Amino acid sequence: MPQSTNSLNEVMVYGPTNKFGIFRDTSIQPFSAKEETFEVPVPEGVRRIKVLVDLSYQLRPGDVYPIHQVYREIQINKD
Amino acid sequence: MKPLIGIFKFSYRTSVKRGFITIALGLGFLSVFIYALSALGQTSGRQAQSLKELIDRYDTSRCRECHEEIYAQWEKSHHARSIMDILMDDYLKKGVLSVRSAGDATKKNFPCFKCHLPQIENATDKVASEIAAVILKNDKATMKKLNINCLVCHHDHGVVHGLPKDGVLYGTSADKEHPDTKYKSVIKSPVMKRPAMCGRCHGLGPNYEFEHPVQCATLYGSYLHAYVPSGGEKTCQQCHMEKADHTCPPNFQDRKQTSARLSRALPLDVRVMFYLSQYTPEKYVPTVVVSTRIQSKAGHRIPDG
Repeated sequence: MPQSTNSLNEVMVYGPTNKFGIFRDTSIQPFSAKEETFEVPVPEGVRRIKVLVDLSYQLRPGDVYPIHQVYREIQINKD
Repeated sequence: MKPLIGIFKFSYRTSVKRGFITIALGLGFLSVFIYALSALGQTSGRQAQSLKELIDRYDTSRCRECHEEIYAQWEKSHHARSIMDILMDDYLKKGVLSVRSAGDATKKNFPCFKCHLPQIENATDKVASEIAAVILKNDKATMKKLNINCLVCHHDHGVVHGLPKDGVLYGTSADKEHPDTKYKSVIKSPVMKRPAMCGRCHGLGPNYEFEHPVQCATLYGSYLHAYVPSGGEKTCQQCHMEKADHTCPPNFQDRKQTSARLSRALPLDVRVMFYLSQYTPEKYVPTVVVSTRIQSKAGHRIPDG
């Protein structure tokens, strides 16, 4: 369900009795690829990094279902 | 040309004739009155007068005798616990649906039940106040008996036009005989294998027929207006009731199965780059760039309900 307000202000709400004004759709649509790029500066001197990408489904705040966990390890060549 | 409407005059000269006509008219009126009463009785007879009566009317435990596997699947589904964990107690305590006490509750306090307990339509406001008491006391044993069970789909919702017939069940095929004391035959439903069957509850948007509208489920809207126009050809039932699986996955109680199902529906591709980004001619900052791509294979948006 897209993120919604109660249409009286710009605060996101939960609950079917409150959600009225849809103002941002962050859901994943059928047949439609969702692409995102994250650019993260790391401390100076770091040459090797381990990245964990965690995709999960949060049914309610705190109630999390893991979907994918992708692990990558990469380093910058010294040359 | 003959007139279409004739005007007739009657005049009665004897008291006997007048008496006979009066009796005949009286009997006619009485028969109409009796018919109206019986119709009214039929209508009010469809409304359960107590929570116990509603529960008894929708008791499907005997279905298990012949449909053991399907019943066991249904028991694991969310349909079997449709009023549990829907935060109804919060809504009754605070907000536009709140009541000072359970006795004040009517069906108007439960717009959620249009989908979560549709059989409430066949019950009075008194039953709604009894249900409010059950919810406010967190009486889970009773709440478990109120759910979307066999009769909701295979009787109440099995038709498209008109009301379901008494003594009949609706299924995906017709059986002339159904060995049950109350439901003695099965009629093929025109809607049961169609997405509209599910769309009835897994909805389109705001329910403006209520004094306090809710906008809960919009899954069917996503199916109709995103999946199908993009070329999708499967029905809800083909994905969520494969081989007539009445679990209707995902079963959120089975966390492993739910995660596996989401994993298949949302494949994830990840690319990682790591390099020294040149912020200024003198300054190099190690930067990691992570690109993700999720391609949904589901028949509707995720998340939704």
